Amino acid sequence: MRRCDGINRREFLRVGSLSALGLSLSDAFRLRALAQAGKKMPRCILIWLDGGPSHLDMFDLKPSAPEEVRGPFKPTDTKVPGFQICEYFQNLAAHTGKLCLIRSMTSELGEHNFGAHYLLTGYKPSPVLDYPSYGSVISHTRSGKPLLPSYIAVPGFSPYAANGYLPAACRPFAVGGDPSKAEFEVRDLEGQAGVTTSRLERRREFLGDLDRLSREIEESGPRQERDAHFEQAYRLILSPEAKKAFDLGQEKQEVRQRYGHRTIGQSCLLARRLIEAGCPFVTVTDSTWDHHANVFRTLKEGYAGGTDGKMIHLDKALSALLGDLDERGLLKETLVVVMGEFGRTPKLNTSAGRDHWPRAFSVLLAGGGVKGGQVVGKSDARGESPADRPVTPTDLAKTIYTLLGIDPDLELKTADNRPVQVNAGGNVVTECLA
Amino acid sequence: MRSLIAMGVGWLVYCPLAVAAPDFETQVIPVLTKSGCNSGACHGAAIGRGGFRLSLLGYDPDLDYETMLRDLQGRRVNLVKPEKSLLLRKPTRDLAHEGGHKLAAGGDGYKLVRDWIAAGAPRETRRTLQSVEITPTTKTLPAAGEKFALKVIARYKDGATEDVTPWAVFTPTDTAALRINAEGEVMSLRRGQSAVMVRFLGEVGSVSVTVPLADEPVKGGRPRTNYIDDHVNRALDQLRLPHSPCASEETLVRRLYIDLIGTLPEPREVDDFVNDKSTDKRAKLVERLMQRPEFADFWALKWGDLLRIDSKRLQPEGAMAFHQWVRDQVVRNTPLDRMAREMILTLGDGHAVGPVNFSRIPGDAGNHAEHVSQVFLGVRLQCANCHNHPLDRWTQDDYHGLAAVFSKLSRGRSIALQAKGEVIHPKTGKSAVPRIPGVEFLTGDGDPREKFTDWLTSAENPYFARAAVNRLWRELMGRGLVEPIDDHRSTNPATHPELLQALAKDFVEHRFDVRHTIRTIVASEAYQRSSLAAGANKSDDRFYSRALLRPLPPAVMVDAVAKVTGVAEKLGNRPTGERAIALMDARVESTPLDLLGRCVRDNSCTPSLVGAGSLPLALHKINGPWLHDKIVSAQGKLHQSLANRKTDEEIVASFYETALGRKPSAKERAHWKTKLAADTPEERIGKFEDFLWALLNSTEFACNH
Repeated sequence: MRRCDGINRREFLRVGSLSALGLSLSDAFRLRALAQAGKKMPRCILIWLDGGPSHLDMFDLKPSAPEEVRGPFKPTDTKVPGFQICEYFQNLAAHTGKLCLIRSMTSELGEHNFGAHYLLTGYKPSPVLDYPSYGSVISHTRSGKPLLPSYIAVPGFSPYAANGYLPAACRPFAVGGDPSKAEFEVRDLEGQAGVTTSRLERRREFLGDLDRLSREIEESGPRQERDAHFEQAYRLILSPEAKKAFDLGQEKQEVRQRYGHRTIGQSCLLARRLIEAGCPFVTVTDSTWDHHANVFRTLKEGYAGGTDGKMIHLDKALSALLGDLDERGLLKETLVVVMGEFGRTPKLNTSAGRDHWPRAFSVLLAGGGVKGGQVVGKSDARGESPADRPVTPTDLAKTIYTLLGIDPDLELKTADNRPVQVNAGGNVVTECLA
Repeated sequence: MRSLIAMGVGWLVYCPLAVAAPDFETQVIPVLTKSGCNSGACHGAAIGRGGFRLSLLGYDPDLDYETMLRDLQGRRVNLVKPEKSLLLRKPTRDLAHEGGHKLAAGGDGYKLVRDWIAAGAPRETRRTLQSVEITPTTKTLPAAGEKFALKVIARYKDGATEDVTPWAVFTPTDTAALRINAEGEVMSLRRGQSAVMVRFLGEVGSVSVTVPLADEPVKGGRPRTNYIDDHVNRALDQLRLPHSPCASEETLVRRLYIDLIGTLPEPREVDDFVNDKSTDKRAKLVERLMQRPEFADFWALKWGDLLRIDSKRLQPEGAMAFHQWVRDQVVRNTPLDRMAREMILTLGDGHAVGPVNFSRIPGDAGNHAEHVSQVFLGVRLQCANCHNHPLDRWTQDDYHGLAAVFSKLSRGRSIALQAKGEVIHPKTGKSAVPRIPGVEFLTGDGDPREKFTDWLTSAENPYFARAAVNRLWRELMGRGLVEPIDDHRSTNPATHPELLQALAKDFVEHRFDVRHTIRTIVASEAYQRSSLAAGANKSDDRFYSRALLRPLPPAVMVDAVAKVTGVAEKLGNRPTGERAIALMDARVESTPLDLLGRCVRDNSCTPSLVGAGSLPLALHKINGPWLHDKIVSAQGKLHQSLANRKTDEEIVASFYETALGRKPSAKERAHWKTKLAADTPEERIGKFEDFLWALLNSTEFACNH
């Protein structure tokens, strides 16, 4: 499914192709030392609702606004007094004690690519530099030799959730496929018959020999990139434990049912497995939140008269994830973020849909280091603008990096040695922190 | 009512004065633009800000005048007491302003706006901008920290000129490379090349600034074969960037084969070339390659990606007809202007007539305009759908006018010209008038497509040839002179603007002969350089001081693996042995092609400079059937050689020759002799399988170097 602009993966901004080599070695060591100095390193599950979910119909209902704004959904009380969300978040209502809901998000970028870049990196897009997204920065600052890739995307990822100017090794590993399908598996984790571990090792040795002996090729971007991917691939292949983390078949039926049978549910379950197995950052991408038409039906019913809406499935998946993480003692060290690239127009359009609206929208935070049970900021009577405590995507980024134990002022370096801060100009939304 | 009276008074006061009031369009709006009021982040947003909406960067003066004068009962513009106008009090922070302090009270901008209001805020247009002259357009500074001043002169249609430097908007493309103040003083911050975008009203331009990469000029001369080298060498001299020497003959043969026919050379072909002692052997090789069927396959594949030939959109019949037609044009070397004419104008049944399918790709007239401008002009017109292009000269009139050119086409299996069909201009709500973008409205009778196509393919059209040669350059050199390839605009300057112009001129003079341009590019010294660094040019990725290391394009890689292993790749349900470069459609199933990043043709993708892969690709190469099945195949080259009692040395040499296009060095031969020595036949097989696997994953094999 595509979004309204028809653009899926087009890289609309590019840096010089061979210049994405990233940090110098000394930087990497410095970062690692910094990471090790901290105690338990926080992890993160980012649920990306691609297309831009409707704040007015999900998290920020306006029952007293005119009909063409408020729509048919009603707010419901939840476990936390005064904390209201949409009535169709039946399960999530029991988990608001864990949630920090920011209702005063504001941005000026109302186009998918620009908005996604802004929300996923904390930087507005620039014609000369592609910025790295959260997972790539995490993966870069916490290298070492982990068994699992440090940044995994389930099942795929937005082009702006990528490594930007950081080395290609920080790109997310997309598991591909559809976790809700019975035959789901991550491709090519199992080897071919006859190719033993010792032969895999010998192949790697021969490959190194070939490159080293060649006088036609020197150490270069493409080679370093290939080496980084091969190294990670080998770590993954040679570890049965790592491979098991991708196997949803290890979960009991009740657990699988708890998350819901849809892609988003099983993706969240896979995210939990990967986090549990030590992956520091997992993005779950759920597409088709670009509801220019029939927003209510799509959110609630799915098809006319159905109970198959996007919000219903999100409700089940997110509630299961929060509950499951909590029960396993993982929630306190796992930050959960739920967001899209913007909100949607307060006034309904003629197709019973809502168009892009970046000026006010909502973002959900929960878990690791987040002060739950609260709403931060508010939008005005029609959900058009922040009425109080505006939070920009840059502020949100600084908050997320702070929660993840990454110094937002840390300087990363581009391929041509330009220093770029992890975050520039943001203010931490201190109310969100526990 | 009061404001109306006030306005009348204003007129009375203003008329007798000798000094003319500031002109709304060419003086007041520039103040707003310079102050950032009408930017996309502020009141220029589609929804405005704080209830005040201006057109983006002032492209719609009528709208701006209306909102300033009529809304809020004239409070924004107070004709009686100009200083009390919200238009002045807000940006000077005399009143609270969410956007902050934008205009200095009493400054030149302030005075212009105040004087205009004091004169009764007249709307009438006194003069119209014709062009803007920026000086200098290129500048070389000796070192970082040095400064120079920019000057912007506006030329009006009445012949008047004016220094508008204070009102031009300057934006560095890279804030870490250049700093520029509001008065147009530029300071370089680092070595290298960068640019400043300049805007005044609807006119935009750019200034290229170079700071040499070294303190001393490079010693020795620079080799030259044709005019391309003059331009490339000049830039290298300016940057003081050393160049790498010419690549070896073996490397050059391989490079030409991959670039021209998407195919690895046979060892015999490499030998023949190396042993040929004639002086024109390179030119002869290029001619021979352009006659090969693979040349037609490979360039038809590139065309297919650009034109988005797709069996789902066009049905297999339409895609096949289109692909065949394109391939035929490559074989005949049809001049590009004629190809474009046929694609744009041909009517009929897409399943029977190939070029008709060009018009079947876009879903409506707007998409049609975007597709035509992207493919043939190298221009992204999309922005101008909703507002005038903020970074270029394109207006909404251009977008909807070009869409109107195609508004009478039926859109189905057959393309026919209908009596009716229109495009509604969103600004006027009326039917848009067909228009050649940036040139003229087409008001006469007849099919506007004819006139548009005449303009498009005329020798005077600056866009058509430039877009074409830039694509060819990128295919052969690994990077466009303008990047992204389809984003030509005055604010996105080429790395070598004069070279681009020279290539375009040469292309036009040779009657749009694609092969001529290919010949010219591959004959240049710039094309033939080694990819190995020569000292300080290691990080050069855009000045052609050395050849770029380019991963083999996905289809070429898949074919190369099949060729080296001697086992064909099965592509979807296509007959065994059909090559990936010959596929007419990107929908043919192939995991390796997907993982290598082939263009899926679902939107305007140009074959991208794919990276050296991803983790899924690495996993597939290690564990997937793609390489494995071919390596272990009993019919494959490896197992045949092993079974045919070839010696270890022979096998190693043979694989080096097919995969890398060269013989192994003495060091390599000795290394593999030791490494592949085995005690048992099984051990030998295992070692050789592992050797072949490693060879298929080596950088030298996987790249065009």
